[in-house]
Amino acid sequence: MWGMNTKQAINLLAVVVVILWLIPVIWVAINSIKPTNIINAPIPTFYSFTPTVEHYIEIFDRFQFDRAIFNSLVTVGVSTLIVMILALPAAYAVARMGLMRGDTWALVILSLRFMPGVVIVLPYFKMANWLGIHDTQILLIIVYVAFGLPFAVWILRGFLLDLPKEVEEAGRLDGLGWIQIIFRLILPMAAPGIAVTTIFTFVFSWNEYLFALFLTTSKATTMPVALQKTIDIYNVLWGSLSAGAMIQLLPMVIVVFLLQRHIARGLALGAVK
Amino acid sequence: MTVTHGEARLSSTARRPSRPHRAGAVARRQRLVAYMLLAPAVLVLVVLAAYPLVFSGVLSFKVDPLYNPDVAHFIGWRNYEDLFDNKRFWKSVRLTLTWAAVVVTIQMVLGFFIAVLLDRQMRGAGLLRALFIIPVFVSPIAMGLTWRFIFEPVSGLANWILNTGFGLEKLSWLSHKDSALTTLMIVDCWQWTPFVALILLAGMQSISPEITEAARLDRVRGFTYYTRIVIPLIRPVIMVVILIRLVDSIRIFDLNWVMTEGGPGSATLMASVYDYTIFKQGHLGLMAAYGFLILILINIIVVAFLNSLYRTEKAARIAELN
Repeated sequence: MWGMNTKQAINLLAVVVVILWLIPVIWVAINSIKPTNIINAPIPTFYSFTPTVEHYIEIFDRFQFDRAIFNSLVTVGVSTLIVMILALPAAYAVARMGLMRGDTWALVILSLRFMPGVVIVLPYFKMANWLGIHDTQILLIIVYVAFGLPFAVWILRGFLLDLPKEVEEAGRLDGLGWIQIIFRLILPMAAPGIAVTTIFTFVFSWNEYLFALFLTTSKATTMPVALQKTIDIYNVLWGSLSAGAMIQLLPMVIVVFLLQRHIARGLALGAVK
Repeated sequence: MTVTHGEARLSSTARRPSRPHRAGAVARRQRLVAYMLLAPAVLVLVVLAAYPLVFSGVLSFKVDPLYNPDVAHFIGWRNYEDLFDNKRFWKSVRLTLTWAAVVVTIQMVLGFFIAVLLDRQMRGAGLLRALFIIPVFVSPIAMGLTWRFIFEPVSGLANWILNTGFGLEKLSWLSHKDSALTTLMIVDCWQWTPFVALILLAGMQSISPEITEAARLDRVRGFTYYTRIVIPLIRPVIMVVILIRLVDSIRIFDLNWVMTEGGPGSATLMASVYDYTIFKQGHLGLMAAYGFLILILINIIVVAFLNSLYRTEKAARIAELN
């Protein structure tokens, strides 16, 4: 067909599928710089308009998006850091220290990730009211640690199991103590795994909505909740929504781009190990 | 690696297990260290996750109005009885299970085909994969709201493409009770098929070249190659992906809430959103009871899956990943 062999045709098909798949994301990007009157016009357009930054200005002016960005960065950043500090030793213990029933420990920890958010959020909601920490960043950090930790241990464990069995042995023969083995051999070798786990933990909390919805009202509101405020029954600001969505999406897209290869591998490792 | 003399001496304990009774001591010490490394994470999880779970369980036997906490008291199984007597509860369970079965099936089948499509040597394959994984990492809120915009009946992109591009009738998408759930399914599949595809792809690419080569020499190719060689080899990966997707589909909240809030009517009122509406009405005990039922349902599925997975996994473990 048109001088293509089967192989080229399949390659072309792959490219077409991926591009079609991304239309909604492209659509957000385009709408975020489209003038309002063209967004609301009955005939959608991909290109015939003069780009504008009005929505990006409006999302900060009207919806305090600067505060939402700050809250997201603080809660997600701090909770991710805590998760990694707790997850690394735990994953190392279940993966490489010959712990009895290491697999079982890992499974028990992972099973906590399967809890529905609606079960867990209620105690936190009540606790927050007693302690008077409703609508604070501390509260969200605590919840995100609880929810990020199980999955982090699970993925890290996959990466650590994938390292050659002889690493510790070789280190010991070279006269290293176990602290040195961990810091000088294991950590550098597991660096891609650590990066991927950090990204996963970060992204889950970055996009998290249910807890943020329950546990914040205005002061500690994160981006997903702030984003939803661009929409109410009387007033749908598609432009502001798209601008806010872009601000939330872009950092994730960049990071995922850089780490794509390791991300899929990391999940597959967690699955089979 | 280079090790200075001083460092070597620091860790001399590890080098000295020459006498037999020392080997046991070292192993015991290592186990102790292992538990010490594990302890902080387990402790944090017990306090932050397990305790709230117990709390929720207790709450599910109480009546506890959100706006009047002083009258809270135990009422035994009443919350559960109220749920079982409620038609809407059963409808939400049915909807949730249908939803999970349909979206996971579509995502697995479609994801497998796309993984096959991407499992090839071509220039720019890495770029394609990086682009394809984007939907997984974008916020369901941002994209859910954007999809709402795309599905606007009058001026939305979807109807415009149907109408102008293909000359078809405009559809009502989210605004009609018969099409709302299907529309939600489309969005969920858009977001999660790439997740399935890329994990399956990683599994496929871990199959050793010798196996692929042997298959080629035996003229096993095309459809047979995938059904006879690839699928059995990556079975553990497939099972875990199904498990993760199944659990997440049953728990679905974000997309469901921002796109339809369970409506129109109760056409898309799935478990978590239904539970949230109970919360908004202030019935905390009832909310906890329903949450617990969702938890039990998920646990039944997880245990059944892990059982079947670990029975065969040891035998069928992918050699190359070890």
